[in-house]
Amino acid sequence: MSNLEQTASSVAFDAAQPSDNAVSRARKVPFEIGRRGLLLLSWLAPVVLLIVWELLAQAGWLSPQVLPAPSKVLRTAFKLAASGSLLNDLGISLLRAIGGFTIGASIGFALGILVGFSRIAEAAIDRSVQMIRAIPFLALLPLVIVWLGVGEAEKIFLVALGVAFPIYINTTLGIRQIDPKLIELGRVQGLGTLDLIRRIVLPGALPSILTGVRYALATAWLALVVAETIGAQSGIGFLAMDAREFLRTDVIVLTIVIYALIGVAADAIARTLERRLLAWHPNYGGTR
Amino acid sequence: MTLHVVPSSTAASPAVAVTHLYRAYGSRVVIENLNLRIERGEFVALLGESGCGKTTLLRALAGLDPIDGGRIAAPRRPAVVFQEHRLLPWDTLWRNVALGLQAADARERAAAALAEVGLGDRLDDWPRNLSGGEAQRVALARALMQEPELLLLDEPFAALDALTRIRMHHLVRELVATHRPGVLLVTHDVDEAIALADRILVMRDGRIAFEHRTSGHGARSIARAELLAELGVVASHPIPA
Repeated sequence: MSNLEQTASSVAFDAAQPSDNAVSRARKVPFEIGRRGLLLLSWLAPVVLLIVWELLAQAGWLSPQVLPAPSKVLRTAFKLAASGSLLNDLGISLLRAIGGFTIGASIGFALGILVGFSRIAEAAIDRSVQMIRAIPFLALLPLVIVWLGVGEAEKIFLVALGVAFPIYINTTLGIRQIDPKLIELGRVQGLGTLDLIRRIVLPGALPSILTGVRYALATAWLALVVAETIGAQSGIGFLAMDAREFLRTDVIVLTIVIYALIGVAADAIARTLERRLLAWHPNYGGTR
Repeated sequence: MTLHVVPSSTAASPAVAVTHLYRAYGSRVVIENLNLRIERGEFVALLGESGCGKTTLLRALAGLDPIDGGRIAAPRRPAVVFQEHRLLPWDTLWRNVALGLQAADARERAAAALAEVGLGDRLDDWPRNLSGGEAQRVALARALMQEPELLLLDEPFAALDALTRIRMHHLVRELVATHRPGVLLVTHDVDEAIALADRILVMRDGRIAFEHRTSGHGARSIARAELLAELGVVASHPIPA
C-alpha cells in the first residue's frame, strides 16, 4: 500500500510543480510535453489500473478468490518474506536458473564457435541441432521427466535446453557476419589464428552473441516456470502450485509478480552488459 | 602452386622482386609472365584499366592470394593500406594501430605513429568518430608501425574528397621519405601517380605494358598525355595540366 501511495503522490507533485526547465520549454513549444512528461505519461496507465484494481477489491466487487487486492498481495509478500520461506524459495529458483543458464550457454557457445569456424563442423553438427531446435523444447517435458524424474536434474536440464539454442544460433550468426575484409586485414598484420579469434572474430560476433544472451535469459525463465510447476518441492513455482491447493490467490499473484520482476531484472542486466561491452558500437554505446 | 614469398635478406636486396609471375582464375589468365622489381625507398605507381590485373598483382604481393607460377622474393611480409580503412570498430585508435605488434611498449609506439599522421591527441578515440581522411591516416600509421620494406597501397585515396586527397598525398610523401619503404601504389588516377611516384607503370592484359620515370616539372604534361594514351583515353582537346 505504502509503495502505491508514494507513486501516486509523486505523480501529483510533479504535475503540480513542474520544473523551471519544463515550463520554459513548454512556453517555447506549446505542444511538446518533453521527455519527463512522456515518462510520467507512460507510467500513468499502469498506476491507474492498480488503483482501480485496489478500489474494486476494497469495494468487494472483486472476490478475493478471483483476484485479491494489490495491498493484500503486498501484505502476503511481507508475511512470507518475514517467515523466510519466500527468500528460500526465491534463492532455490535463482540457483536453478543460473545453473541451467550456465550449462546451456556454455554448450551453445562452444557449439556455435565450432560451427561458426569450421565448415566441417557445420556439416556434422548443424542439421541435427536445427532438427532438435524445431521441437518446442517444452514438448520434451514428459520425456525428460521419464528420463530424469522430477528432481533438480530435470529442471536444470530444461533450462539448459532452452538456453543452448538461442546462444548457439546467435554465436554462429555473429561469427558468419564478420566482415571478411577485417579477417584479411588481420592476416596482413600478421595475426596468428588465436589472435585473429581474440582480436577480430569474438569482438565482431559479440553484438549478436549478446542478443542471444538476452533471448536466452527470457527462455531460461520460461523453462523454469514450467519445470517448477510440475513436481517441485521448492521454488517460486512450487509456492504457486502449493497456493493453488489452498486457493491462496494472493500467493499465486505474488509469484507471478516475482517472476515478472526477475524477468525485468535479467533483461536490465543484459542491457547493462550490452552498454558496457559494446561501448564502441553506435547502436549500443553512448556517444563520446 | 609454388611457394609464396621467398625470404631474401641481403642488404642490397630490393623491396620486392617478381619474376615470371603467372596467375589465372580457371581458364582466364590474369597475370602472365610479369616481372617487377621495386627498390627500397622507391615509389612505384601502377596504373591500368579495371580488370587489367593490378589488384590481383597487389594481392599476390601481399600474400593474400596464391600464385600459379613464378616467384615473389621479398625480405618480409609487406604492409598494406586498402581502399577502405579497415579499422576495427571495437578497438580504440591506438589499439588499431598496434594490431599485430608484439611489444610491451605498444601504446607508446602507437602514440608516436599516430602523432606522425597528426592524430597524436586521439589515442583513445573510437574509429567511428573519424572522418574518411582521418581513418585513412590511421590506416597509414598502422601499416608503417611494422616498419615494412614494402608498402602496398591499394587505391587508398579513391574514396576521399579532392582536398583531403591532396593533403594525403603530402602526408604520404613525407612518411615515405622518413621510413623509406619500397612503395607500390595501385591507382586509377593518372595525376596522383604523377604527383607521387618515381616510376609509373601501366598494366595491360596481365603484364607491364608501359613504364615511365618521372623527372622534372616540364616533363609532367607530356607524361600525362602519354600515360592517358596508354590507358586508352584519347583527349579530343588538350586538357590543362
